[in-house]
Amino acid sequence: MNLMKYYYKRIAASLLLTASLIGQVKLAVNTIPTRVDVHLDGINLGSSPIRNERVTPGVHKFEIKKKGYAPLTYDLLVNPAQAVQLDFFLNPVYKVRFKTEEKGLIFELNGEHRWDVQLVRLELEAGNHFLRVFKIGEIIDEQTIRVDEPKKFNYYLKKPLSEE
Amino acid sequence: MLKPFFNRIALIAGSTVILGLISGCSAFRGPLYPDIIYNNRQPLISVTYEYGEIELILPIKYDAAVPDNILFKVFTQGDTLHPVISILQEAPKEFLAYLPQGVLDIQNSTNLIKIFPQDKNFDPVSVRFKGIHFGRILLPPKTIRMGQLIVSGNTFLNKNDSTLANVDISLQSYDNIIHETQSNGSGYFQLAIPGEYRYAKHLRIVAGENLIFKPYTKKLDFSQVRKLKMDIGLGPSDEMKEPLYMTNKNNVHFREGPDIGSETLFLLEEGEIISVTRVTPGEYHGFIEVDLDDEKSVQLEGWIERVDLRLVNLHNVYKRTAEYYFIKE
Repeated sequence: MNLMKYYYKRIAASLLLTASLIGQVKLAVNTIPTRVDVHLDGINLGSSPIRNERVTPGVHKFEIKKKGYAPLTYDLLVNPAQAVQLDFFLNPVYKVRFKTEEKGLIFELNGEHRWDVQLVRLELEAGNHFLRVFKIGEIIDEQTIRVDEPKKFNYYLKKPLSEE
Repeated sequence: MLKPFFNRIALIAGSTVILGLISGCSAFRGPLYPDIIYNNRQPLISVTYEYGEIELILPIKYDAAVPDNILFKVFTQGDTLHPVISILQEAPKEFLAYLPQGVLDIQNSTNLIKIFPQDKNFDPVSVRFKGIHFGRILLPPKTIRMGQLIVSGNTFLNKNDSTLANVDISLQSYDNIIHETQSNGSGYFQLAIPGEYRYAKHLRIVAGENLIFKPYTKKLDFSQVRKLKMDIGLGPSDEMKEPLYMTNKNNVHFREGPDIGSETLFLLEEGEIISVTRVTPGEYHGFIEVDLDDEKSVQLEGWIERVDLRLVNLHNVYKRTAEYYFIKE
């Protein structure tokens, strides 16, 4: 009798599982770099690469964070499909030294980060950043700097940044 | 005694040197900006969908005849104007189509396969079905038949063109009744039989077997059309003047003269109407109506023995009803 109950429960569980899988989309997530924790709608799916997960059609939020890389948040409208595969390329954060011999200058990066020392160490997301230079409250220079590796910038007034 | 003291001094001095070196190097490298500076660059993300296919299978069966070609059209989501796929092919045993995932209504049976046999003997048919996300749909077999043959019209009394309701009507092949019905309260009737009888040579319509008159019989020819319109007049025409009598049995002699031994022109069936004009002690003289092929009729005169006739009351022409009666002399 107990054996029968056990089998009934197993069949019921299988049916429930089957019903819940109908209409879902098979999900695979790859990241570069690998071994990154992937969160889907706030739930940790585990470390990438993710395989054989299921997601329902509709809007979902993916969140990926790893030290040394810019955090990534992505809203995806999942279409009714058989499977969906996502490849995330995380943007690295590089260590950069910024130096100038000029005095009395204030530097501003991306409109919000400011410093006034002649030598500073920065952690910058790879890509372009917008640099403004102020002197006595006035903008005296504007440049776009590109970061694609750890490097040292030397700033000379109204000259393009030199790299070391 | 002094050893612990010197050890402690050495430790403090070492720590001081290390701290000095660290702070010296830090000063040399510059301070660390407290925040990581992001540029909010659009992340590089690749999204790849894999869509499943829907394999749609409809087995086709044929009844009696097979059309040469069939056009299949698949409509989805209740849209009956724009098919998602149209396929013209030789009459197959199975209609097979592959549809992309997501085109079908998976909640309701609003998806539709319309089947258009490319043959005027067949009518289009439809199959409704409920969709799935992807995978295989095997529908129940659909039988393609030749289109029905339809005859319709009205029944009326020839005498005054008034409507005759509830008249028995049947379609017969030889003496086999294929289908039978009754005209409705307005005298309208419609009979439909399978298309396989289209070229039957002995197909006929019989009307009025529940009336006192001789039933109306006419051969039907569907070889050119599948729908026939036919108004059926029953009973004697207006040309037949009263008093009207009718034969009360089969094989009644309709003779040229009243004399014994006079030539018999016709043997009349039960229910034949005679318009009586003269009466003798044993015989009636009158006219019968004979229908010609071109739907005209002629009147022929002759003599009939009085015992073979009974008077007709045209106010009730139905058999087997409470109101029905013959007026006897």
